Amino acid sequence: MPASFYAGDEMNQAAESDSESDARLAQLLARCAARDSAALQRLYELVAPLLFACLKRMLRRRSVAEEALQDVFVTVWQRAAQFDAERGRPMAWLMSIARYRAIDLLRRERLAPALMPDLPEPVAPGEEHGGDEATWLPGGALLERCLALLSPQQRDCLQLAFVAGNSHQDIAQLLGSPLGTVKSWIRRALQSLKTCLET
Amino acid sequence: MNAAPDNPVLLERLAAEYVLGTLRGPARQRLERWRADSPLLEGYCRFWEERLLPLLLQLQPLAPPAHVWSAIEQRLQLRPVMPRPQLPRQLAIAASVLLVAALATLALWRTLVPGRAAEVATISSPAGLLWQVEVFARAGTPQRLTVRAGVFASHPAGHDYELWALPKNGKPVSLGVLPDQQRATHLQLSSPQQQALAAAAQLAVSVEPTGGSPTGQPTGAVVFVVPLRTVS
Repeated sequence: MPASFYAGDEMNQAAESDSESDARLAQLLARCAARDSAALQRLYELVAPLLFACLKRMLRRRSVAEEALQDVFVTVWQRAAQFDAERGRPMAWLMSIARYRAIDLLRRERLAPALMPDLPEPVAPGEEHGGDEATWLPGGALLERCLALLSPQQRDCLQLAFVAGNSHQDIAQLLGSPLGTVKSWIRRALQSLKTCLET
Repeated sequence: MNAAPDNPVLLERLAAEYVLGTLRGPARQRLERWRADSPLLEGYCRFWEERLLPLLLQLQPLAPPAHVWSAIEQRLQLRPVMPRPQLPRQLAIAASVLLVAALATLALWRTLVPGRAAEVATISSPAGLLWQVEVFARAGTPQRLTVRAGVFASHPAGHDYELWALPKNGKPVSLGVLPDQQRATHLQLSSPQQQALAAAAQLAVSVEPTGGSPTGQPTGAVVFVVPLRTVS
């Protein structure tokens, strides 16, 4: 799916491909590394809404998510020179900074387990959809295919952890399953996902 | 224990749980330390960060309140650069006149000082001056080049910034790697550099592997293109 992954950019929303978005973000990061604060502001305009959505989902309290977003951009400014466009996608780098900051703050906040993210159901294997049909994960056709191979519990565990920021204990509590069971669901889910993603 | 364990199967499992977010507490902090020193672990982490990214891209974007950006600017002590307040027209004209007067004074000063630069270029970010480039000429031919780095100039990790002359008709010619903060480099120009500079109205800066472009042409992102101004 060629749609641009960030919001709020009226000029480029329509037709920018992932690689064009990546190139633009990488260039902004290079300018941040050269201490160009206009580039940081532009980057903020482009990606802050998505990072904020992610932080709000994980941290739930708006004020904590706002504090985390500040921390994220301070870190981006300080570490921009470490980003290497040849070794990864800028959005994955930015999202990781945001998620890892949220996980640090989760420890401090001691929040109750987060509810299930309301994500659309993946297409089950066997009900293959046509090639033209929209996928439910933007740019994630492969991930979608691989997630569809997991059991519903495994999929729930991965999304509860990755998207909603839940720990093993939180997930066990939410699903009403023993902690050991949840841990082994996740371990096996990651193994099958890896095998599938690498092929 | 400071070094990452040698067991790739263990590292791979820890990396997946780290990225997923289920590795917590001291184990998480330990992995973060290992990651900084282990390219193998770095690779495993990046695999998951990139592959799971689509799960996050489907979140509905949420506009943060305006005070978040103001707080970031304050914490980083950035000068607000946008939106620029509209200057009243008369004030804008007055400012332009002052700028012209200042440039004229500078030009006059340079004519009076021996060994003056024939051409100058400044490369700045809104935070301040990054580099000042001066080209010294004899009988109209560029001879030497001096680059002075401001307090904000630094090179990206594992990379250098490289300076290029952009001749009007022709390929960019390297003028060397740019120095870090408050250092200066002096370059005696080779004949191709002299010709390129004589035909150039602009300079460019690109991001290159440490030590400069391996190909003799820019290979990384071009981050600045600035005019080369004649001083006389």
